[in-house]
Amino acid sequence: MVKRVAIVGIGTTGFRPVTPDVSFRELIFEAARKAYSDAGIEPSEIGGFVTAAEDFLEGYSIADEYCPDQIGAVLKPTQTIPGDFLHALATGYMMIMTGAFKTVAIEAHSKASNVKTIDDMMGFALDPVYNRPLRETPHAIAGLEMTRYMFETCTSSEQCAKVVVKNRGNAMRNPYAAFAAELTEKDVLGSEPVSLPLHRLDIAQHADGAVVAVLADDQTAQALGGTPIWIDGIGWCTDTPTLEMRDWGEAAYARIAAEMAYRMAGIANPRGLVDFAEICDEYSYKELQHMEALKFCNRGEAADMLESGATSLQGELPVNISGGALGVGHLFEASGAHKILELVEQLRGHAGARQIPDVNIGLAQVWRGVPTATGAVAILSNM
Amino acid sequence: MSISEKITKTTTPTYWEGEIPVNYIYTFGLAGEAFFRAIKDKGTFLATRCEECEVTFVPPKAYCDRCFEKLEKYVDVGTTGYVETYTVTFRNMDGSAKKLPRILAMVRIDGTDGGIIHYLQGIPFDEVAIGMPVQAILKPKAERVGGIEDIVGFGPPKR
Repeated sequence: MVKRVAIVGIGTTGFRPVTPDVSFRELIFEAARKAYSDAGIEPSEIGGFVTAAEDFLEGYSIADEYCPDQIGAVLKPTQTIPGDFLHALATGYMMIMTGAFKTVAIEAHSKASNVKTIDDMMGFALDPVYNRPLRETPHAIAGLEMTRYMFETCTSSEQCAKVVVKNRGNAMRNPYAAFAAELTEKDVLGSEPVSLPLHRLDIAQHADGAVVAVLADDQTAQALGGTPIWIDGIGWCTDTPTLEMRDWGEAAYARIAAEMAYRMAGIANPRGLVDFAEICDEYSYKELQHMEALKFCNRGEAADMLESGATSLQGELPVNISGGALGVGHLFEASGAHKILELVEQLRGHAGARQIPDVNIGLAQVWRGVPTATGAVAILSNM
Repeated sequence: MSISEKITKTTTPTYWEGEIPVNYIYTFGLAGEAFFRAIKDKGTFLATRCEECEVTFVPPKAYCDRCFEKLEKYVDVGTTGYVETYTVTFRNMDGSAKKLPRILAMVRIDGTDGGIIHYLQGIPFDEVAIGMPVQAILKPKAERVGGIEDIVGFGPPKR
């Protein structure tokens, strides 16, 4: 019987603002070759494949049909999930736990630079009857939420700007990151207003790139050698799509997804047990709101925790040492993929200049972006 | 990131431009039709209420998303509410800059758990506050067609 599932290989292209030289399929091919090489396995030996993609982002109806070739999945059990990489990870985990699959490869990518009308594309996600007719920027949904979050938690725009400074600064040590920069709070608050209190630099910019990971059951993982990174907990949750009925201050989808993952991992005290975390910061305030949802601190205390340095590389609970979405880039459905990549590198001790010392348990959390209220959490360990 | 041979000219990468022209109609449904008909004909907002869960839905839903019961009773909840949250938007949906920024608010309709996302009108930005009372401003009846744009926005409540 399968007791545990591990990540036994991972590969990536890294992340760039544009990738004009390669198609999205070639991006995936590069990540897949690296992942299979890392795992020491051929795609012909892999039992099943799960990809994460969304038709509108890809520019194809039924985009899933365009996934098999570049991951070695032709004429194999393959499926595409219209969700984040973490949803694919959950599916791959469950496939292996059934005992029917010894290994599963999972994939997600972003070729955002190919979407010519990316603002409109994001706007099409708004309710066509109640919200879309106003033809507002979808960032306005985040602006509304940021105002309410700041009001309920007594958080300031300056404190939100500090998230941007920290994460883009962290990206300076991450060779995969597209948007490393040494910024000041003044730079953030002085950038053009998009939907106040959101400024341009509060918003993660899109990047291209692909990640593929190979999962295996405990026996196969031990046989392959290397350092298996175990999936100890996973959870996911979706709130109502009706914006008008939502709680605008709290990220309930993240809290409930985390509770599910913590329960599975047997973690009662996240702040004491989680060594580091990669969490969704697609808008600056989101990192703070998500820290509270993940129970790293009480409501209204995330900004204080940030300012105390507790979430920096040297702090007690480093958050977004990769640079997060602000520093690495907003990768749409691959958002969870770069977080898992960072967890694996840190837990293997391969994170180079940004290595956090003595880490055993890492947490990844994603949100599917405006206007969704969908989140997922995964907890990985190297023990 | 080329696969086998390095591309040495930045003008080399080529692409094909395509578009996906798809058009839709979006059916209001029973609850949506009741809601927009009330705005158009009576100038008021309708809600559905789940007595079991003590939740009042605006816009109305034909079912309760908590206990999963069918909701068939519509109640007139009027057009007043308060600012739950707000933002000042500088861009349009296509990313282009607005000529003038606008204040967009989530207005919680009084006595309900829902509301309407729309513009604030006649309220200067430095006077907007969470919790401030507002009332819907509707287009003149003859101009209303049954849609969210029958609402011009929300302004100070009429006495």
